[in-house]
Amino acid sequence: MAFCVKVPRSFRLLEELEEGQKGVGDGTVSWGLEDDDDMTLTRWNGMILGPPRTIYENRIYSLKVECGPKYPETPPFVRFVTKINLNGVHNSNGVVDTRAVGALAKWQNSYSIRMVLQELRRLMMCKENMKLPQPPEGQVYSN
Amino acid sequence: MAENSGTDPSVDANVDKNAAQDGTMIVVTVKTPKDKEEIVISEDSSVAQFKQEISKRFKATQEQLVLIFAGKILKDGDTLNQHGIKDGLTVHLVIKTAHKSTAGSASPTTSSGAATPQASSSSRTSPAAASSTGGGAGVTPAQPANILSGLGDLSALSGLGMGSSNFMELQQQMQRQLMSNPEMLSQIMENPLVQNMMSNPDLMRQMFVGNPQMQQLMERNPEISHMLNNPELMRQTMELARNPAMMQEMMRNQDRALSNLESIPGGYNALRRMYTDIQEPMFSAAREQFGNNPFSALGSNADSSGAQPSRTENREPLPNPWGPPATSASENRATGTSTSSTSTGGTAPNLSNPLGINAMGLGNGVFSSPGMQSLMQQLTENPQLMQNIMSAPYMRSAVQSMAQNPDLASQVSPGSTPSQQQQQFMQQMLQMFVGGEPPSQTPEVRFHQQLDQLNAMGFINREANLQALIATGGDINAAIERLLGSQPS
Repeated sequence: MAFCVKVPRSFRLLEELEEGQKGVGDGTVSWGLEDDDDMTLTRWNGMILGPPRTIYENRIYSLKVECGPKYPETPPFVRFVTKINLNGVHNSNGVVDTRAVGALAKWQNSYSIRMVLQELRRLMMCKENMKLPQPPEGQVYSN
Repeated sequence: MAENSGTDPSVDANVDKNAAQDGTMIVVTVKTPKDKEEIVISEDSSVAQFKQEISKRFKATQEQLVLIFAGKILKDGDTLNQHGIKDGLTVHLVIKTAHKSTAGSASPTTSSGAATPQASSSSRTSPAAASSTGGGAGVTPAQPANILSGLGDLSALSGLGMGSSNFMELQQQMQRQLMSNPEMLSQIMENPLVQNMMSNPDLMRQMFVGNPQMQQLMERNPEISHMLNNPELMRQTMELARNPAMMQEMMRNQDRALSNLESIPGGYNALRRMYTDIQEPMFSAAREQFGNNPFSALGSNADSSGAQPSRTENREPLPNPWGPPATSASENRATGTSTSSTSTGGTAPNLSNPLGINAMGLGNGVFSSPGMQSLMQQLTENPQLMQNIMSAPYMRSAVQSMAQNPDLASQVSPGSTPSQQQQQFMQQMLQMFVGGEPPSQTPEVRFHQQLDQLNAMGFINREANLQALIATGGDINAAIERLLGSQPS
């Protein structure tokens, strides 16, 4: 059994907030608190840039990420705001199926929001997804 | 650990700077997938001002810039403060260029037609640049049209030497484009016009035969001509062409078979011979005209002249659409003027004939694209091109089949039924073609030698002989097979 330190939730989330603001990573995903006054650090915005040479290219996808009270022990809820046609994302409301995304299905508490976003972006590059016809740009899920 | 615990973002806690909010300059890092720049900007400036600075540094217009911070897109009207952008933080930047390539990615349509992206950029700069998020109204579906509009913008391309030079080249370019875009390809395949053409083996054959290099090849390797004349084989090939998935299967099987050949003692030599004797000239012949090897799909016998390994899809039907769609597609636009001008025109294609034969319309929707129309225009103004087109041998038969099938014609001309005028026009066109052709002999005359031979062999039914010969284009062996096949014995 691994010896893992349990980092308190707020510490983790603050760290992620800082990373998001500092632009850690390659710049293809972005995330931040939805509401800066949110003391619980629950609701987050996410952004994924469509990877090149796929049908998602040149598009910017908005997401909402919810880190529940048990985060990071439990994976966050992820939902696309911008309409997208991607395997594992519900067509009607943009909710990302936890079982379809590897990082969410096999969640570890060392995973982060950034990893989830990056994984989703990787999924866009998969052969089975990269050519799926997409709804016109700018459409959002309405709920 | 970060002290901005989300309580009050306006409290500067990160770096030691004076609390004065007025005009304090902060350094914000702007990051694109490829680049990183540090921009000094006043703390309480707006996003628009920020973009101004950025556009200078990144050499892009403000409309092209999309800024993202903490998962949110920054709108021009917001302030940096609003989003909590402070000194030392990083903002992500996406530059929308006209090629539809962001600061990091490459445009998918950069195929060999190098002219295209440039042309397309000129035609799409405004729509692409003007929009930041919503923009492009169906960016993806517009891509195929983009290719065409790129090519259609011949005016832009004339500088690149594509304007008036060679119809064939144009054709090739289009083909390459098509090849690179499988969606379009399937669109085209589904076009009933194309299907109709493909189901006409005579047409196909004429096309092949028309190519002088192919003729040479046929002389050297009579098997090839035999294959051409076998309508079954042709049909099969066309079926294959229609179905790219099947095609690939075939290719794969063929490749495997061929590689097996290699392992047979002496097999490698045979393969090599096959390649040099047959493949090369055929390939170059085909490439000149179609950009592919028309026999690539014929997997019947590995050591027959047609077989050859790993070509890309059999593109043979593609050149066809050049002919027929053109005729009636632009008839629509031709309206009155063309009829009058053509009626005067005698043999050679009437130069002022607005009939853009070179209609790249390979799908119905494609016909009406603005690129197409401009292309037609170009053609009308360019007599040289017209002549080139006319000289393509298969044009005639294509036009013939068009004329005979007004339904087909109406399909081609976007949505409108051919009017009387148009039909008349078609007739005239046909006559023009026929008139312009070198003196065509009746089939009897052409085949009289073969007829004699058949007679000597014992096929007395001259009528039937003639039919068979016509169908097989003068190939005695094939004609015999046809005759034998139709007889009950």
